[in-house]
Amino acid sequence: MKLSFYPGCSLDGMARDYARSITAVFQHLEIGLVELEDWTCCGATAAHSLDEMMAAALPARNLALAEKLGLDLVSPCANCFNRLRFSRKLLREKMVDVPWQVSGELEVHDMTRFLAEPALIKRIEQRLVRPLAGLRVVCYYGCQMVRPPRITGYTDFENPQTLDRLAAALGAEVRDWSYKGTCCGASIGIGRKDIQDTLTGRLLDKARQAGAEAIVVSCPLCQANLDIIQRRSKGMVIPVFYFTELMRLAFEGGERAGVWFKQHFADPLPLLEGKGLL
Amino acid sequence: MNPLAPSNESPSPSGPPPDRPRTLLSGRGDPFLSRVEGETGANISACYQCERCTNACPVSQYMDIKPHQVIRHVQLGWREALLSSTTVWVCLSCEMCSTYCPNEVSVAAVISFLRNMAFHSSIAPREKLLAVFHQTFLDQLRKFGRVNEFWLMEAFNRHLPILKEKIRAGTLPEELRLGWDLWRKGKLHLIPRRSKAIAEIRAVYRRQRGEVAP
Repeated sequence: MKLSFYPGCSLDGMARDYARSITAVFQHLEIGLVELEDWTCCGATAAHSLDEMMAAALPARNLALAEKLGLDLVSPCANCFNRLRFSRKLLREKMVDVPWQVSGELEVHDMTRFLAEPALIKRIEQRLVRPLAGLRVVCYYGCQMVRPPRITGYTDFENPQTLDRLAAALGAEVRDWSYKGTCCGASIGIGRKDIQDTLTGRLLDKARQAGAEAIVVSCPLCQANLDIIQRRSKGMVIPVFYFTELMRLAFEGGERAGVWFKQHFADPLPLLEGKGLL
Repeated sequence: MNPLAPSNESPSPSGPPPDRPRTLLSGRGDPFLSRVEGETGANISACYQCERCTNACPVSQYMDIKPHQVIRHVQLGWREALLSSTTVWVCLSCEMCSTYCPNEVSVAAVISFLRNMAFHSSIAPREKLLAVFHQTFLDQLRKFGRVNEFWLMEAFNRHLPILKEKIRAGTLPEELRLGWDLWRKGKLHLIPRRSKAIAEIRAVYRRQRGEVAP
């Protein structure tokens, strides 16, 4: 099995640890990832906010690259995924004209939903070396991966399950909570830190109330927000894992966890050690 | 003041700017409602003010015009009030409002369109930092084809008014500490990765401005 892969700017920057865990996990699962050559930024929130035409055109170039390869496209970043699907919809409706050869017929997956298909869940369970037994987590999806459903294609957008299924397959104890899709504040902290701290802080409180010891995410910006806010907190922190980091942990054991998690502010090592997962 | 409250001083509403008739330069009228409906595809006329959008919104408490009021404002043609609101900048595009609307009004798409409109209008953005940040992001995109967090923040802070604003608000030391923490964690990368396809992106920008390739 082979897929084309659009990492996006975050995985090239602050979320390089996410990128490394993805490479490892896909090798374990024997799925080939072909990174799009010379991919360009999807425009993210900025193009969406200021320049709707570029918001449709920028992702189209990456879709064209994937169509040239003829491989389904997978995106690990929630916002890239949303922007690619948005552009694809407009291309299909012939609402945007771009200088690239692109039809918009190619499938665009978000990485969680691709891996949470029953066949792959089975493969994941077969690869487990160190199940994450006793690790209590909540899964946090954020906004862009699930909403709006007419773009993302999620039917269970009120209570999405992909990350929950993946974390459960790894052996973790997945807690239910009501804040799976409540916005973390995205990049609003640039101008309104008060709003950012309120939204992100509330998520951490609610995760604690749900009995979680860690949060599982798939979006680089959600991870950054939830992690960075804890960087000076004294006492119990809630580590914020990319779901692929937990997969790698369950596939390889925790001998090298100190290296994998060294970019986390909320240090996961004490928690993992307490659970005997290192 | 609640613009939806019944007013004795009708027809002129008391809250937002006076609802005067507008004409475009062409002499035609300004059918604001049809324009926004046409551009966004949102069936704004179907809104019956149930306030489900505002109740679902995680940031409605920070907005001067709440999401359901945005829709009403569009129906009434109160363009200036909308474009000078905090709402268009505070909105996170989290799509809660659109998702829960019983009449499938794409509230978030309407607010996004208004933010686009506000940016291209002569009205000064109410959240200057956010507007300049988005602008800087697009500048970086056009420069490198990709966006590097370090150079994005560097370019953002190089705008003198932004730097002054941060010094005035006293947030600069905290931000420098954050930068230092990120650097120590190895999360910042000083060498930006460029895409070789940047010429293609710049060409699209030029074409959008109406320049014809020779």
